Amino acid sequence: MATITYKEASCIYEGSDKLAVDSLNLDIEDGEFVVLVGPSGSGKSTALRMLAGLEDIDEGGIEIGGKDMVGVSPKDRDIAMVFQNYALYPNKTVAENMGFALKLRGVSAAERRKKVEEAAKVLDLEQFLDRKPAKLSGGQRQRVAMGRAIVREPQVFCMDEPLSNLDAKLRVQTRTQIAALQRRLGTTTVYVTHDQVEAMTMGDRVAVLRDGKLQQFASPNELYDNPVNAFVAGFIGSPAMNLVTVPITADGVRVGDNSSLELERDQLTRLHDAGLAEVTIGIRPEQLEMADSGGIEVVVDLVEDLGSEAYVYTHAGSGIQLVARSNPRTAPKLAETVRLRKHPDGVVHLFKPDTGERIG
Amino acid sequence: MTTTDVQKSVEAPVQKSKVKRRKFDPWGAVAWIVGLGFFFPVFWMVLTAFKHEVDAYTTTPKFFFVPTLDEFKAVFDQGVGTALLNSLFATTVSTILVLALGVPAAFALSLRPVRKTQDALFFFMSTKMLPVVAAIIPLYVIVSNIGLLDNIWALIILYTSMNLPIAVWMMRSFFLEVPGELLEAASLDGASTWRAVREVILPLVSPGIAATALICVIFAWNEFFFAVNLTAVQAQTMPVFLVGFIAGEGLYWAKLCAAATMAALPVVLAGWVAQNKLVRGLSFGAIK
Amino acid sequence: MTTIERQDLTEAEHVARIKKAQDPGVSRAEGWRLRGPLLPALIFMIVVTQIPFLFTLYYSTLSWNLVRPGSRKFVGLQNYIDVVGDSTFWQVAINTVLMIVITVLVSVVLGLLLALLLDRVFLGRGVVRTLLITPFLVTPVAGALMWKTAMLDPVFGIVNWVLSPFGVHNVDWVSRFPLTSVMINLVWQWTPFMMLLILAGLQSMPKDILEAGRVDGAGAFQLFRELTLSHLRRFIELGTVLGAVYLVNTFDAVYMMTQGGPGTASANLPFYIYQRAFLGFDIGQAAAMGVIVVIFTMVIASFALRLIFKSFSGKEEAA
Repeated sequence: MATITYKEASCIYEGSDKLAVDSLNLDIEDGEFVVLVGPSGSGKSTALRMLAGLEDIDEGGIEIGGKDMVGVSPKDRDIAMVFQNYALYPNKTVAENMGFALKLRGVSAAERRKKVEEAAKVLDLEQFLDRKPAKLSGGQRQRVAMGRAIVREPQVFCMDEPLSNLDAKLRVQTRTQIAALQRRLGTTTVYVTHDQVEAMTMGDRVAVLRDGKLQQFASPNELYDNPVNAFVAGFIGSPAMNLVTVPITADGVRVGDNSSLELERDQLTRLHDAGLAEVTIGIRPEQLEMADSGGIEVVVDLVEDLGSEAYVYTHAGSGIQLVARSNPRTAPKLAETVRLRKHPDGVVHLFKPDTGERIG
Repeated sequence: MTTTDVQKSVEAPVQKSKVKRRKFDPWGAVAWIVGLGFFFPVFWMVLTAFKHEVDAYTTTPKFFFVPTLDEFKAVFDQGVGTALLNSLFATTVSTILVLALGVPAAFALSLRPVRKTQDALFFFMSTKMLPVVAAIIPLYVIVSNIGLLDNIWALIILYTSMNLPIAVWMMRSFFLEVPGELLEAASLDGASTWRAVREVILPLVSPGIAATALICVIFAWNEFFFAVNLTAVQAQTMPVFLVGFIAGEGLYWAKLCAAATMAALPVVLAGWVAQNKLVRGLSFGAIK
Repeated sequence: MTTIERQDLTEAEHVARIKKAQDPGVSRAEGWRLRGPLLPALIFMIVVTQIPFLFTLYYSTLSWNLVRPGSRKFVGLQNYIDVVGDSTFWQVAINTVLMIVITVLVSVVLGLLLALLLDRVFLGRGVVRTLLITPFLVTPVAGALMWKTAMLDPVFGIVNWVLSPFGVHNVDWVSRFPLTSVMINLVWQWTPFMMLLILAGLQSMPKDILEAGRVDGAGAFQLFRELTLSHLRRFIELGTVLGAVYLVNTFDAVYMMTQGGPGTASANLPFYIYQRAFLGFDIGQAAAMGVIVVIFTMVIASFALRLIFKSFSGKEEAA
């Protein structure tokens, strides 16, 4: 049973005065695929390395399968890791790379060969078994790194941005392969990435980190629908959610110089209770649509036509910039003045302007 | 237009551009001249070694002559064999010692750097800066008191201490080139630090270690100061032999050149053969 | 595992709490495990280099001449006073400084020119490089011997033969220009070293910077002066420092070519000390001279070491 629990885990780098990871609490279930996501410097890689034993747990603890890991060296943790730069042993062949851990455990050569060949078949590496890493392409090396991890049949997989060195197309392809593989093997996996698309598509649950602190740990849908603060709201979803700070009016907010947006009853009540004059509202681009009348008056700055859809970048008076999704055939033109309206099913998120905390 | 016509017109241009005339670079000629000039003393040394004595000592230098091996034979008769063996022994053993002490030291110094690392490195390099002359007197006294005067082991120990700082510094720079992730990956795979170093790091660093060993061999073989002061007859190395040879045979140039050739040639040839390693070592790994 | 109560600490307080709880014993043991492999080498060096030097310090306070046994006695700093008052010592010191400075300067400049030549592609480039590194490989005494006899000899030397069309006849280089002759040999020996270092610098320079310069309109000379030279600076500095360090100890060339002569015209400090100790048997004075040389070298060396570390740790971090 490989559950993973981070209990108030903190880590500080030698010679630094800033916490790389600050009191992280995560409860990961057996067989779950958890993604740690966040901008650079958010501590996600550090948190992963603490799990693998490559960074010290300076405070708090991490448990794997109920066993405390403080002071346990990496080689005794039964964890396999896929590194960002693959870290393949240059002087060993692919087969030797994949079989190294087994060799260290005293597994017989015949048994090793069998396991390596099995893993190679799954990853389509059979023809490369006798080659050295220098003679492989980036994508092939990545698969070898995965194979090295799989062969060990460990309790936990740790993956540190394994796709970031691949070209875009290969990245998408490999993404699905990794997700499918994990589902088949059922091994608990912790996966680090800065790419929120990877996070949303691969994870059972996603932990968003910022400056070493956990922001929210929930399923992708939950993060999308109910972000707990403005940072998560702006981080998840592409293009990013529109987040603007606007003054509150009697029945909504004023957007731009002469447009307003109506809000729900209970939203207004909560705003009133919070005693705020301004609020940060969030609307996703896909929930804004072109309208003939009503809505917010904006001027078009840029139209990005992606073929299947178009994104219209606009501004509504001083400093308010809004992005809306549109049909490419009916998209407006540059410098045109159009009106944006919230989709009937669309949600307006409300966040405190100073802390970013969710209000409603 | 048929398909074959299309193919032909596509293939033809590619053929033509393959033949590019190499321009004559005048600076290349300059380089050749300078190179030959620098090499000349060595060339002359080897050439003269094959001359009869009468051809060696002439007012106008002789480039054409009847070669002979007599002078080499004469050098052998004077007992160069012992010196050769001594040089070989001292060089080999001291280099092995340098590697045995230096590789672990360089490895330790290449791990997570801490101020103490800088201090240790500083210390190593500073020993190199101490003029050896300052220590020769007590060294002589100590060595003779221990009874190691005219003993090859005194030289071995001193050569090791002479080469160790440079060796540590060079090998450290090679260790630093290995990405730290490899050690981490090996650690996760279950290897102890020693095992990881042996199986993963050392094979990667071995060209660097070879380069360092070559530099050590060059300095040890060519060393003169310690050898001339601390050895007499039994533990004589080649440079000492050569100097002693001059005292006795000063006017016999062909013989002198033969002796000098035998003293210098082994290391010159080794350096030529392992030239790339040498260049790598001297530039601290900057040239691959 | 410690259970932590959830408190509202500021970041700084949190950091402080963690740092306080770190067990110094554990990290010290870890430290020893990591630094352990360093110890054998360190101890070896300390024993073999520092102990003799301590003895030198001790001997420098004695008046001790091996020729007069039983005359050994403590005289404090008298030896130093004698040495400093010895005009020959100062002349020799100046010789040493001249030798080092001029040799380094000339070999760096030559090395730079040669490196620039070798950086181009031409037929037989590898062979030329092989030829050029040979002086560095040749046993210094053998090389010095060749320069003294075959090259610079008044009657039979090649240099005189080559220069004879220019009206130079039978010049006894070694006797008339002893210091210069030794320096010629040293420059011949050390130029390959400088050349290799600078070549390393040239070949490690990213080519696209030069391309950018050319697009901006810079000519070859400007490219060299503005871009190449500043990149090479590190390597030139390293070569200068390392070369100077080795040259301080030059002994072979002086011994072989001139024996310091005529008189002490071409003696350098190592040779002079050697003379005092092994030919004059004056241990005390030789030791005192040795100590003075060490102090002097340490002062210069500490500047040099800082230079090396500054320029080369920067490189390692960037890599």
